[in-house]
This record gives sequence, structure tokens and C-alpha cells, in this order.
Amino acid sequence: MKSALFILPFALVPFFANDFWLVQIFGRALILGVIALSLTFLAAYLGVVSFAQATMAGVSGYTVAYFGPNSVDVGRELPFYVVLPLAIIMATLSGVIIGLIARRSQGIYAIMITLAVGVAFFYFTRQNYTYFNGWTGFSGIRAPEIAGTNLRDPLPFYLLIISVAMLCLMLVNGFIKSPLGLTIQAVRDAPKRVLAIGIPTTPVIVSAYAIAGFIAGSGGILNVWYQERISSFSVGLGPIVDILVIAVIGGLKHPIGAFIGALAFVLLDTFAVDFIDRERFNTLIGLVLLAIIMGAPDGLHGLAKSWLARFKKRVAENQV
Amino acid sequence: MPISHDHKTANALEIQGVGRRFGGFWAVKDVSLSVRPGERRAVLGPNGAGKTTLFNVLTGDLVASAGTIRMDGADVTQTPMHKRIKGGLRRTYQHAHLFDGLTIRETLFLAVSGVAGGWQRFLPLKPNDDAIGKAENLAGMAGLSSDLDREVANLSHGQRRQLEIGMALAETPKMLLLDEPAAGLSPSERPRLAELLLSLPKDITIVLIEHDMDIALRTSDSVSVLHNGRLLAEGSPENIMSNEAVHNVYMGGAHGH
Ligand SMILES: Nc1ncnc2c1ncn2[C@@H]1O[C@H](COP(=O)(O)OP(=O)(O)OP(=O)(O)O)[C@@H](O)[C@H]1O
Ligand SMILES: [Mg+2]
Repeated sequence: MKSALFILPFALVPFFANDFWLVQIFGRALILGVIALSLTFLAAYLGVVSFAQATMAGVSGYTVAYFGPNSVDVGRELPFYVVLPLAIIMATLSGVIIGLIARRSQGIYAIMITLAVGVAFFYFTRQNYTYFNGWTGFSGIRAPEIAGTNLRDPLPFYLLIISVAMLCLMLVNGFIKSPLGLTIQAVRDAPKRVLAIGIPTTPVIVSAYAIAGFIAGSGGILNVWYQERISSFSVGLGPIVDILVIAVIGGLKHPIGAFIGALAFVLLDTFAVDFIDRERFNTLIGLVLLAIIMGAPDGLHGLAKSWLARFKKRVAENQV
Repeated sequence: MPISHDHKTANALEIQGVGRRFGGFWAVKDVSLSVRPGERRAVLGPNGAGKTTLFNVLTGDLVASAGTIRMDGADVTQTPMHKRIKGGLRRTYQHAHLFDGLTIRETLFLAVSGVAGGWQRFLPLKPNDDAIGKAENLAGMAGLSSDLDREVANLSHGQRRQLEIGMALAETPKMLLLDEPAAGLSPSERPRLAELLLSLPKDITIVLIEHDMDIALRTSDSVSVLHNGRLLAEGSPENIMSNEAVHNVYMGGAHGH
């Protein structure tokens, strides 16, 4: 539970930040953080690096687009209180399907197989016009108005984002201490041994992916409201890699790494263009990634943790 | 599971012509043996004799390349491991592989709820959960009560072995396969292990692989000797100790004891 407190400082942002910082920087960082949390969750507790987060987020995003207000003439509108649970269920189901496909794969094979699923989904959305409107996708997607509060307004939207981020972190922190959460970690540590205590591993792995789908799906709804559009490019290689980069920069060992990485990524993504041109951004991100992998394999979270430990040690020494 | 046989007459373990091949090499070949309910059987044999491989086939860690395995009269040759475990079989591993990221309490909790059910729950545990109480009892039996919240990665070699045994005792097994439980234990820890084995309920069938002759013979009422994957001799501890073929195998230098 303690680490959910990490999100609290984000709650202070509305007191001093303008709408740009509120939504484009901190809001966007928290949204990407939720989607990356899905990856970090699988990496930290199931021990599998998955490339399908943008896909699962896309499934809920497309559900919201298809069944919600949009400016292309595809889909049919349902009330938001039907659409939102439906979007989450679809994303969770996509997690189940990906889990069933990837359940026997680990390491590089899990990466390849989830990447293959992601790329297949990307091509499918490009070619299917009935449900995905091809490569143009959907635009004019609007967040609903609930009880007189318009979720398109910066402050309510930001408060929603921060609540979702907080809830997802608390979900992960609570879940990993539940029997199923412990079993998932047991599968990470010694899958054969899990069988030897009477537990079949497939349902364990699939449920981990289902939770990853649930989390990514929550982020996917926020993301489609933030972007106000979704198309095959939203589930293409670019976003797939972005999520991975965020998770790795932040650190794969701990859930809050996802949010640290997302904030770093959004700051770079937003302000690096002031120093270098757009095309060079990928080079910059690549260099940052390289520096992290070589200098701090546990990401910024790991780095901060070891600095803190060193600092505490020094304070303790000075007191003696 | 409806099983159409008479429990009273069925052997706890009955294997026939069991073999396991790695490529062209038979690590276990044509082994047949039967173990009565409640029997304590030691399996001896030099390094590489095929003892661990035989266990792996009995539990389902590996599939048998030949032969049939019956437990309590039911054919389990094709049964997945986790189902055999649910049916009352437990084992320990020669080289402990454990859940390094969990604590002792969490590990034993999973061992209990793996068999008794309940591992599927996804709400945080209450400290008064039934299975946690059982896990703490197991820790007591295995001599780990003082380290319940220790992370498994930080345990000593001896503690890891003890945890292996604690896990295997979850929910009172019908049959226990112990693969060199004394290996790596200090001389002072060994008698405790023997005591623990002797103190287990008499209706638990135990098959024990053990290089420590003292423990093996003290805790067993019958012995099977494996050599080059085949069953070399079988009998009471006294018979085996005076068996010439067994002596030749052990004196042949394949084994140091
Ligand atoms: N997975 C495997 N692949 C190939 N060969 C194997 C495998 N497992 C065991 N073997 C071989 O099978 C033979 C029997 O090995 P096993 O581990 O069953 O012997 P053991 O009697 O348990 O020996 P020890 O006393 O050293 O534990 C050995 O020659 C071993 O190299
Ligand atoms: Mg062995």
C-alpha cells in the first residue's frame, strides 16, 4: 500500500500547474504509467516481458470509440455506464487470450509471441472497416459528462486519471499478497515446483495476463479520451515500443517504476523537441534507454532506491 | 474420482516395467516394484543409478517412456503431476528449488492451499486464515518457526532442505517421496531429520532416497537398490547389507560412502 502514496504528490499538481502541465504532462504521464504498469506487473511478478500492452489498451480504446460518441459514422452509441465496463471486460478478455497464446513462453520467446500478437492486431485494425474503420480509425471521441461534471474539462479529467492510477497501483499492491498473487510469483520463481504442490500453472499464468489486460484496459480508456481518436497507429509498433521503453526506464522490478518512467518519457517527449528536431527524438530515447540498461539495470526506480539507501547509511554514520 | 478397486488390497505404489529414456540412453530401465501402504522403503544406489529419474517419473515431473504406474490401485501413468499431488502424493527435490521471492510462511501457505484448494482467491489474506494456521504448524514440524517471515532467497542451505520437507508434509500426504533429504545437512541436523521421519503418522507411505546409510536403514523397513537404471536387489535392510552384488556396486568406487 505504501507505494500508492507515490501518486499523492501528483494530487498537488492542480494547485500550481496550468492546464498544459496538468493534462499534457502529468495527466499523460499517469495514463502512460497505468498502461506501462500492466507490463511492469507481468515483468515483476510473473517474470515475463510482454509486448502486448498497447494492444490490450487498444482493445478498450476501440470499444469506447465504437460504442461511444465519435465523428466517423461507425459503431453504435451506448450509454457510458455500459460502455466502460464493456471496454474493461474486452481488455481483460484480450489479456486472457494473449495469456493462453503465450502461456508456455518465457524470455525472448514471450517477447516474440506477444509482439506477434500486437503486430497481427495492428494489421487487423488497418484492414477491418466494419469495427475498426481501417487505418483512419475513429476521431472525435469524447469523454462523457457524468452528474454535471464534464470529464473533458482539464481538472475533472486529471482527477479521474489520478484516481485510476492510484486504484491500479493499490490493486497491484493488494493483489500480489493474495493467494493468487503469491501463486503468480511462485510460477515466476519455479514453475515446475508449483505443479509439485498441486497447482496447475496455466490458469495462474492466464489470470496474470487477465489482470494485465484489466490494467492496460483502464489506461486505454483514459488514453482514448486524452487523444480523442484511435487508429491502427495507436496499436502499432511505435506505441508498443514506447510502453516498453517507459517500463524499462522506470524499472521493471517495482510497480511505481512504470510511473517514474512515464514521467521521464513524457518530459523528454515534450521538451526534447526544443533542443533537437523531431526526427532525432528516437535517437535520444534510444541513448537514454542504453544509458539506463548499462548504468542502472533496475531503472530510475532502482537508481533512486540505491541513492536513498546510500543517503540513509551516510546519515546513520554521521549520527554515530 | 470413482475408482473401481478395493483399497484394502491395493498397493500404495505398484510399478511395472517402468523406464525413462534420454535420447538413446535409458536412465531407468524395466523397473518393477510394489510398496505396501504405510511401508517405509529406502532406495539406494550409486550416483547416476537413476534414483532421481525414477522419482521424476513417479511424480510426473517426467513422463515414463515405458511401463505403468499405479498408486492406490489407480493407473496414474498419464496423470499430470498436479493431479497426482492432489491425490495424496508429495515429494521433495534433491536440489531444492523453491519460491525465492516468497517468505517461508507464504510458501507453506501455498503448499497447503495447493492441495486443499484456495490458491485461486484474489482478495488479500486475512491473518486468521485457516491455511495460514496450517502453514505455521508445518513450519513448526520442519523446525522453521522462528523464521516465518524470512524471504526464501535468504535461507541457509539447511533451512531450504527443511522447507522442502515442510512443503511436502502439507495436508498429510498419503505417499511421500524424499530425495536425499539429509544431503547438505550438518551432522547435528541429521538425527533431527531421522526423528522427524520416524515421528510421521504410520499410515504415510514413504519412499526415501538417501546416501546416509544410518538414516536410510534406521527409518526404513525395506530397501531397493538401483544400479545403471535397473533394480539390482530388494529386501530387508539386513538382507541388503549382506548382499554380495550390492557390496560390489558400492565397493566399485562409484560411491564414496
Ligand atoms: N534430464 C536429463 N537429461 C539427460 N540425462 C539425464 C537427465 N536426468 C538424468 N540424466 C541422466 O540419467 C542418469 C541417472 O540420473 P539420476 O539423476 O536419476 O541419478 P541418481 O541416482 O539420482 O544420482 P545421484 O545419486 O547423483 O543423485 C545419469 O546418468 C544422468 O546423467
Ligand atoms: Mg539423484
